[in-house]
Amino acid sequence: MADQQVDLSLLSPQQLSEVKSQLEQELEHLTQSFQKLRQAQAKFQECIVSVEKTTKAENKGKAILVPLTSSLYVPGTIEDVENVIVDVGTGYYVEKSPKDAKVFYETKVSTLQKNLGDLETIVNGKAGNLRVVDEVLRQKVLAAQQGKTAA
Amino acid sequence: MSTTSSSEPKPGEAGYVNPRGIPQAPFIEAVEEYVRSRDQVESILQSFQEMLSKYKYMEMSTLRRAAGLREKIPDIQKTLDTVLFLDSKRDAEEPTMLTTFELNDTLYAKANVTASDSVYLWLGANVMLEYPIAEATDLLTAKLKAAQESLKLCEEDLEFLRENITTVEVNTARVYNWDVQKRREEKEAGERIK
Repeated sequence: MADQQVDLSLLSPQQLSEVKSQLEQELEHLTQSFQKLRQAQAKFQECIVSVEKTTKAENKGKAILVPLTSSLYVPGTIEDVENVIVDVGTGYYVEKSPKDAKVFYETKVSTLQKNLGDLETIVNGKAGNLRVVDEVLRQKVLAAQQGKTAA
Repeated sequence: MSTTSSSEPKPGEAGYVNPRGIPQAPFIEAVEEYVRSRDQVESILQSFQEMLSKYKYMEMSTLRRAAGLREKIPDIQKTLDTVLFLDSKRDAEEPTMLTTFELNDTLYAKANVTASDSVYLWLGANVMLEYPIAEATDLLTAKLKAAQESLKLCEEDLEFLRENITTVEVNTARVYNWDVQKRREEKEAGERIK
């Protein structure tokens, strides 16, 4: 990225607008990723709440409606308040105690938080670059209009 | 533009409207008959462009409908299979079974399920109803069939739309070419007079 700062004044307006649109694309992409990470983080928070609610000791044997598919439910009873099954990725499901499950999800949440922070820094950097490029482009266009030769 | 006939127009004839209300685009056999003078060319080309954009819009919405249906059909199939399974379990010796169900996206828990006479179906829009197993089976089978029928109709419509889009594009090209030709002829005639 550093080389771009030096050469900006030497680029022609067309090249500058190319750089600008490229930066805009990257910015959009990064913002989307940011949103997705946020969503994933919210989901993991939900999981923590679900674990807490369903594994309260008094819930054993409580009647619930069990989803068998996305639109089919059957009445059933909570069987196990000592364990839950967590999808740890790549097709592996691990049975954990509610405490371990909560720890697992909390770790996920904090990892995502760190990623979100790093991403935010990068996004801000790109936005800054975009502003600089935009400014130089505007100056060039103005200079060209005034009849002076641009680089 | 299209001639009205006493009997219903058939597919392929001008004026035909397909079962879902999509009109057939007229195919211009002879440009000369269709376009009387060069002044009409502009408005005709414009009306063709309008038709084209209408067809393309319908094509997009039909594509979306078809995609939605293609997603729903496996779901309905799964639900139907599960209901039939519950039905068979009902008569077995062990009607109670241990199942792992989804609490959340990556979180599952265990529950005991006793196969009973009724199931609960989520109909969407915050509506869930209790159905006896037989009724649930009928409802799901009917839904599945309706979805498959709709999908078939959507695909038919897409075919029809694509044909018509091609027709209109061909018409546009021919009228345009005719116009270019006429322009050239008039220019030559004008130069000859000079």
